[in-house]
Amino acid sequence: MIKNSTLFILLFLTLFAANQKSEARPIISGISTNEINIDTKFNGTEILLFGAKGDAGDILIAVRGPKKNFLITKKEKFLGIWHNGNRVKLKNSYSYYSFFSNSGDKILENDIAKDLELGGKNLKFYVSGNEESRKNKNEFEMEFVSNLEQQKLYSINGNVIDFLDESLFKVILKFPKNIARGIYNVEIYLLDDNNLVSFQTIPIYVNQVGFSAQILDFAYQEPFLYGLLSVIIALVVGWLANYLFARFVGK
Amino acid sequence: MQIYLPIAEIPVNIILILLLGLLTGFLAGMFGIGGGFLATPFLMFIGIPPAIAVSTSANQIIASSVSGLLANLKRGNVDIRMGIFLVIGGFIGSTLGVSIFRFLQKTGHIDIVINIVYVVFLGSISIIMLIDGIKTITAKKYNIIWEKKQNSKMEKFLEHLDKWPWQIYFPKSEISVSVFIPIILSIGIGILVALMGIGGGFIMIPAMIYILRMPSTVVVGTSLFQIIFIASNSTFLQAVTNNNVDIVLGFLMIISSSIGAQLGTRSGTKVDADSMRSFLALLIFLVCAKMFLSLFTSPSELFLIEALKQ
Repeated sequence: MIKNSTLFILLFLTLFAANQKSEARPIISGISTNEINIDTKFNGTEILLFGAKGDAGDILIAVRGPKKNFLITKKEKFLGIWHNGNRVKLKNSYSYYSFFSNSGDKILENDIAKDLELGGKNLKFYVSGNEESRKNKNEFEMEFVSNLEQQKLYSINGNVIDFLDESLFKVILKFPKNIARGIYNVEIYLLDDNNLVSFQTIPIYVNQVGFSAQILDFAYQEPFLYGLLSVIIALVVGWLANYLFARFVGK
Repeated sequence: MQIYLPIAEIPVNIILILLLGLLTGFLAGMFGIGGGFLATPFLMFIGIPPAIAVSTSANQIIASSVSGLLANLKRGNVDIRMGIFLVIGGFIGSTLGVSIFRFLQKTGHIDIVINIVYVVFLGSISIIMLIDGIKTITAKKYNIIWEKKQNSKMEKFLEHLDKWPWQIYFPKSEISVSVFIPIILSIGIGILVALMGIGGGFIMIPAMIYILRMPSTVVVGTSLFQIIFIASNSTFLQAVTNNNVDIVLGFLMIISSSIGAQLGTRSGTKVDADSMRSFLALLIFLVCAKMFLSLFTSPSELFLIEALKQ
C-alpha cells in the first residue's frame, strides 16, 4: 500500500490545490486505503495518512479500533503459591488505539482533549469487579495499556506527526498482525488553545477476506456442520496416515 | 512461512505448528497419551487464545489417536470391550466435569486447588510407576530379587475390588473385573479431564496398569481407543457452543501428528514394555515437576489479559 504512496501524494496535492482555490478549509486529509483485508497471508500492515492544515493550531490524531470487553486477572501469592487473584472486567475499551501529536503533554490537559479521550492519559475505562479490585482500578488500567502496547495494539507515547512544510503533514499508521475485525476510526483534530477549530474522521474497515473469511463465516453460521467436519477431517486424516504408512513404509 | 488463522485471528508459523504436531503425535503413538499437556501450553505461548488452544488440541488428538489406534489394532493390541466401558464412563464423567467446572468457576480460586490436586496425584503415580519400572528392569537384567511386601494396602484394596458384583471376562486382556470398576474409574478420570482440559491418558494409563491390571501390551491401544471418543465429543461441543475450534490450525496439526503417531507406534514396538512404562513414568514426573515449580516461581506476567467475545 505504501508503495503507491508517491502516486497518492501527487493526487492528494492536486486535490488540495484545487480545494484551496475554492475555499480555505482548516484541515483536509486522506488515507492510502479505507480497507484492511485479512487473508491467509496477512501479517500486519501499514496505512499512510496525509493531510494539510489551513489554520493555525495543533494537530492531534487518534485512531481507535472496535470496542471490546476485557478480562484482567492478577496473579497473587498465598503461602508462597501463585494463583489467580483479583479479577476485573474492562467494559467497552478500545481494542486498538494510537495517538499522534507534536504539541507535548500540556495540550492534553485541556478539557476538550479529556472529553475526546485524546492521548493515553485521557483514556476512560469502565471497570467492574469486586470492591478490592475497584480500589486498585488504576493498577489494572495501567497494566491493560502496557500489555496492549507490548502487543503493538496501543501506541500512545512519542508518536509525532511528520510535517513536510508548515501545513503539509503525513503519518504512517501501523496495524499489527493481531488486530480485531471491525470499523476503525481515524480522527484528525485541529485545536487552537482550548478550542476545537475543526475535525475530520475517516473510517477504515478491517475484514477477513477470501478463504479465511469463508471459514470464519462457516464456523459461526453452521457451527453444527463445522464441528462435525472438524471431527471427520481428523478421523479421515488419521486413517489415511495409517493406510499410507502400512502401504508404503511397512511395519 | 506464515498463515493467518481465521478463528484465532492471528498468523502463525506453519513449520513450528507442524513440528509441534509431529512431536505430540509421536508421544501419542508411543505412550497412548493425547499430548494435550504439551500442545496446549505451547499454542498459548505463541499467542493463540487459551480457549482456542484447548479446543483445537482436542481436534488434533482425534487424528493422532486414530492413527496410533489403527497401527495397534493391526497388531491385536486393543481391548475393545474394555474400551467401550471406559468410553461410557468417560462421557458421563466429562459431562459432569463440565458442569462442576462452571460451578467452581463462579466461586473463583478454583484453578489453584486443581493444580495442587493434580501435582499431588500425578506426582505420586509417577513415582510409584518409576520405582516399579526400575525394580522390574533391574530384576530382569541383574537377577536382583526385590522383596515383596505381603498383603500391602494396594493388594488388599485390589482383593476387595475383585469381590464386586457383575464380573465380566475381558478375553483380550485376559482379566475378569466387575463392570463397575472401569466405569467408575473412567467417570473419575472424565471429571478430571474436563476440569484440567488435559491429562486423560496420563491418568488412564496408570489406572489401567495398576487398578484394572491389564497387560502392558494392550494398554496403549485401549487408551487411544478411549481418547478418540472423548476428544471427538469435546471438539464437537466446543465448535457448536463456543466456536473455539480453529480448523486451519487443527488441520496443520492433524496432518503432522498423524504421521508422528505412526512413527511413535513403530518406535514403541522396539522398546520392551517395562522400559516403556518407566519412560512414561519419567515423562509424567517431569510434567508434574514443572507444574510444581510453576506454583512457586513468580510468573513472567503478573497480569493476565484476555479479550472477551461479547
